[in-house]
Amino acid sequence: MVKVEDIKKEAKRILKEGKVKYIIGYKKSTNGLMSVPAFIESPEDVENLIWDPTCVYNLTRFLVDEKRRKAREKNPDERPVGIVVKGCDSRAIIVLLQEKFINRENIYVLGISCETTGVLDEKKLLKKLNGKKAEKVEYDEKDNFIITTLDGKSKVPADEILAERCLECRANFPVINDILFGEKVDRKLDNRFKSLEKIESLSKEKRWGFWKEQLDKCIRCYACRSVCPMCYCDECVVDTINFAVTADTTAEEKAQRIKWVEKSPTTSENFVYHFVRAIHLAGRCIDCGECERVCPMDIPLRFLNKKMEKEAKELFDYDAGFDPDQPSLVSCFKDEDPEDFIR
Amino acid sequence: MKKRTGVFVCHCGINIAGTVDVKKVTEELSKHPGVVHSEDYIYMCSDPGQNLIIDAIKEKNLDKVVVACCSPTLHETTFRNTIKSAGLNTFQCEIANIREQCSWVHKDMEKATEKAIKISKSTVERVLRNESLDPISIPVTRRALVIGGGIAGIQSALDLANSDFEVVLVERSPSIGGHMIQLSETFPTLDCSQCILTPKMVEVSKHPNIKLMTFSEVQEISGYIGNFKVKILKKPTYVDPDKCTLCDECTKVCPVVVPNEFDLGLTGRRAIYIPFPQAIPATYILDINSCPGLLPIACGKCADVCEPNAIDFDMKPEIIEEEVGAIIVASGYDQYDKELMAEYGYGKYPDVLDGLQFERLLSASGPTMGKILRPSDHKEPKEVVFIQCVGSRDPELHCEYCSKICCMYTAKHAMLYKHHVHDGQAYVFYIDIRSGGKGYEEFVQRAVEEDGVLYLRGKVSKVFEDKEKLKVWGIDTLIGKDIEIDADMVVLAMATRPSNGAEELARKLKIALDKDGFLAEAHPKLRPVESVTSGMFLAGAAQAPKDIPEAVAQASGAAAKAISILCQERLYHAPTVANVNINLCTGCGMCVDVCPYDALSLKNGKAEVNEVLCEGCGTCSATCLRAAIQVKNITPLQVHEMINACLGG
Amino acid sequence: MTDEFEPRIVAFLCKWCSSAGSDLAGVSRMEYPSNVLPITVMCSGSVSPLYIFSAFNKGADGVLVSGCHPGDCHYLKGNYYARRRIALVKKLLEFIGLEPQRFQMSWVSAAEGKKYTQVIKDFVKEIKPLGPQTKLRRNQ
Repeated sequence: MVKVEDIKKEAKRILKEGKVKYIIGYKKSTNGLMSVPAFIESPEDVENLIWDPTCVYNLTRFLVDEKRRKAREKNPDERPVGIVVKGCDSRAIIVLLQEKFINRENIYVLGISCETTGVLDEKKLLKKLNGKKAEKVEYDEKDNFIITTLDGKSKVPADEILAERCLECRANFPVINDILFGEKVDRKLDNRFKSLEKIESLSKEKRWGFWKEQLDKCIRCYACRSVCPMCYCDECVVDTINFAVTADTTAEEKAQRIKWVEKSPTTSENFVYHFVRAIHLAGRCIDCGECERVCPMDIPLRFLNKKMEKEAKELFDYDAGFDPDQPSLVSCFKDEDPEDFIR
Repeated sequence: MKKRTGVFVCHCGINIAGTVDVKKVTEELSKHPGVVHSEDYIYMCSDPGQNLIIDAIKEKNLDKVVVACCSPTLHETTFRNTIKSAGLNTFQCEIANIREQCSWVHKDMEKATEKAIKISKSTVERVLRNESLDPISIPVTRRALVIGGGIAGIQSALDLANSDFEVVLVERSPSIGGHMIQLSETFPTLDCSQCILTPKMVEVSKHPNIKLMTFSEVQEISGYIGNFKVKILKKPTYVDPDKCTLCDECTKVCPVVVPNEFDLGLTGRRAIYIPFPQAIPATYILDINSCPGLLPIACGKCADVCEPNAIDFDMKPEIIEEEVGAIIVASGYDQYDKELMAEYGYGKYPDVLDGLQFERLLSASGPTMGKILRPSDHKEPKEVVFIQCVGSRDPELHCEYCSKICCMYTAKHAMLYKHHVHDGQAYVFYIDIRSGGKGYEEFVQRAVEEDGVLYLRGKVSKVFEDKEKLKVWGIDTLIGKDIEIDADMVVLAMATRPSNGAEELARKLKIALDKDGFLAEAHPKLRPVESVTSGMFLAGAAQAPKDIPEAVAQASGAAAKAISILCQERLYHAPTVANVNINLCTGCGMCVDVCPYDALSLKNGKAEVNEVLCEGCGTCSATCLRAAIQVKNITPLQVHEMINACLGG
Repeated sequence: MTDEFEPRIVAFLCKWCSSAGSDLAGVSRMEYPSNVLPITVMCSGSVSPLYIFSAFNKGADGVLVSGCHPGDCHYLKGNYYARRRIALVKKLLEFIGLEPQRFQMSWVSAAEGKKYTQVIKDFVKEIKPLGPQTKLRRNQ
């Protein structure tokens, strides 16, 4: 079992020794159950760090912000940033390394193994407690979560309230780390694409009906894009821009913009937006599930990315986020890639 | 500036006008935004037709032109030259293909006309966004590098040198000559290999245009077609070739004996040696790996007896830099690895030889002075078994491909054996006989009919020693019987494989390898001597197993290709190349991975295009997630507007 | 017959094989339906998924991407990248419930005028019964 004290000890050490400029981790929220990101700059603040099943955030998104901030600074602090990652988050680091977005020496990875469980799904928990408020959720020695409510403590099998992605997690331990907390436990997974089956088994028209209903809800707030560590582009192609607009940009240059997608949240435009996201994340999405978690309209966005993940695996035997030195899914090919769909 | 496009619709007699309402196309296009002029004419490509375009450009001040006519493969150049003569940039003309892709394939006039209008409109949308471009001009360093000094490399070097271009010929071993100089006689004419090759070797060494660098290896190559920079490592030979008089006094005192590479270990040589008597350059060299004398001076006997003081223990490796405009790679072949052929006792029994060893036995200057004697006991072998396809055509265990030359050289071996040992018997185990080539089939028939060589169709399962004999177990599949032969000697026709180090060389040159490790040609049929990298050409067995005439032919072909570059002061390259928007580029390197031409690289965290290498395929553009790279004049914006025009209305 | 549904198909043809193949169909006067609007691109490898989404978004009833056969790409390997990319796009479009017939890929060489004709004929035939593509079409 992962002991938070061990994490704190290491965090304190690296901050004291000046090895890192700050550490991105989790702390208790002042407003609600779920933990929130913590940016720990001094050894004294290390006490705020926590580790429990509410640590759902994929903190690697903050590496994107860190890079941007650093680019703006005149004399940036060149020390690495410490970052707490779970298995899924660590795969995001691999992809960011693969795409040369970050350098290995700029990060100090505190990897935490989810061992036999994972993190919880807040909605599932609410349902489980029949709307009662949980004050605290903790890991136990086994595969249970200990939930504290006003009524006291109770044990719940983790599987019942685990996040969907954790149930389908293909590597629940950090694949890259400078220090590892917890044990590398191989979880048995009969089918990592199980959740997809219920959509895949629908008829074509039912599938269309499902997606139309879901994507019609989209209000194009772009929360999915904002939270995604892979959506680190300075300009997104869906923003009707194909170059960065500066003060010197002329009207004629602006006319050169391509409007691949209209801003209005209509069916057709929402589909194009989500197609672009799914295709651009194919072979890059590491299934942290953040897009779905933050979606205010509860669109099951993870399915789109999961579908691409499945096809990458089945058609091309490609898994995102394992090897920083291999080319990306669509920037390589094999002679024997399937072509039975081609006339 | 307002865009002023002119549209010119061709009737092509009735070829277009027969199914497309040309007048309607002209009229519809005249209403399209950005179009200020449109007209039709019976034959737009005729002189009067072209003059219409020129006049319209001048009168209406047009800056863009669309010609709706036949396929751009036919008249794009014509019309681009037309607008050029009227003062416009050639890239301001695009062709709308309304003949091959429309009038010729449809019958319904209404539908064909509608389609022709859409094709023309989408072409207008494209040309409206075309940039004016000029060809990219590249200066040419008018000299060549040839890598490999075998027959192919020698031929290429001589062809280039005789065409008055300077050539740097790099050979990694101490002498040029390659495998050909090891051969005894050559099929199908049986002329002596040394007799026909040594004059060429001498010509190379004496040629004023050839800079010969033996015992040297290419270390690094940078640059691109017309402008390569090459770093060559010249390894020390510890003997000054200018001082060495070939007196041979040194070898008499050298205490070290090691296997002689030239005779494939059938003889020995000293640590100081000349690779073979006709070696070019004609000089002794000191083999640092077997000489005990260098560190510290433990022996030094050779230096003591060397009258001209040619031996220099302090010689150091040198890096020599050369600039060349074209490169020919003729890195040759090697025989298949012996360890992999244990079932035939190769390397275990001294009388199991490979093809090249047998060549040395046959050679008049070889270890036995041309007598065929068993290495083990120096007796004349009376029964010799030749096994073909050793390692070739064996996809499960060894090489999948046919090594091509073995059928012929085995026939030659068997024939020459019979010429030496009249009362001997030669057996050949074969899978098929492949004797395509001028005089080849006749040659094989001669071996069978005149020299009584016994051909057995089948494979050999095992060779093992049995009472001073080599027992050969095989099968004759034609009669379906097991065969057992008590042989005195077994000769294996080893598979031909890319020479050692070819893979590393290919990496340095950025030339692709095929699945078997041979250097890959740019196109298997139409560009067989070019590599994928422009300015680099392939010659000889480095590209695939080849016999001498084929290697020579390809070498001359490669030289001619190189000359086609070197004969020009400057090269011109199409300017429709990829272009990076560094504001959008995040430096992920996906474009670098997909570029087939190595035209992309990362500089300071951003993609950079080498415009000379870029062929404008646009694969990078489709791969880029940020739309940060696009090919000029077929940009995503242009395609977007073309899609719009195609689907509009 | 005029009110029969005539699908609009956008075909991205690579310049060296498929566009040349369509030229050959023309030279050979092979007749095929006029529903296909060809857009010649340099290589099938240059066809961005955005082009495909955009074509459907702008009301295409079908989209075809056609390139050189494997091993024949003028640019050596563009078609291999295309094959991978297009496979993913196709899976995605089918996953959301678009009729698979609406998005197709073919290998057509410069010598295959006949094949090009057949690809177009089959494509049009398969799409006609589906009616107009309205799922992804922008409301105008």
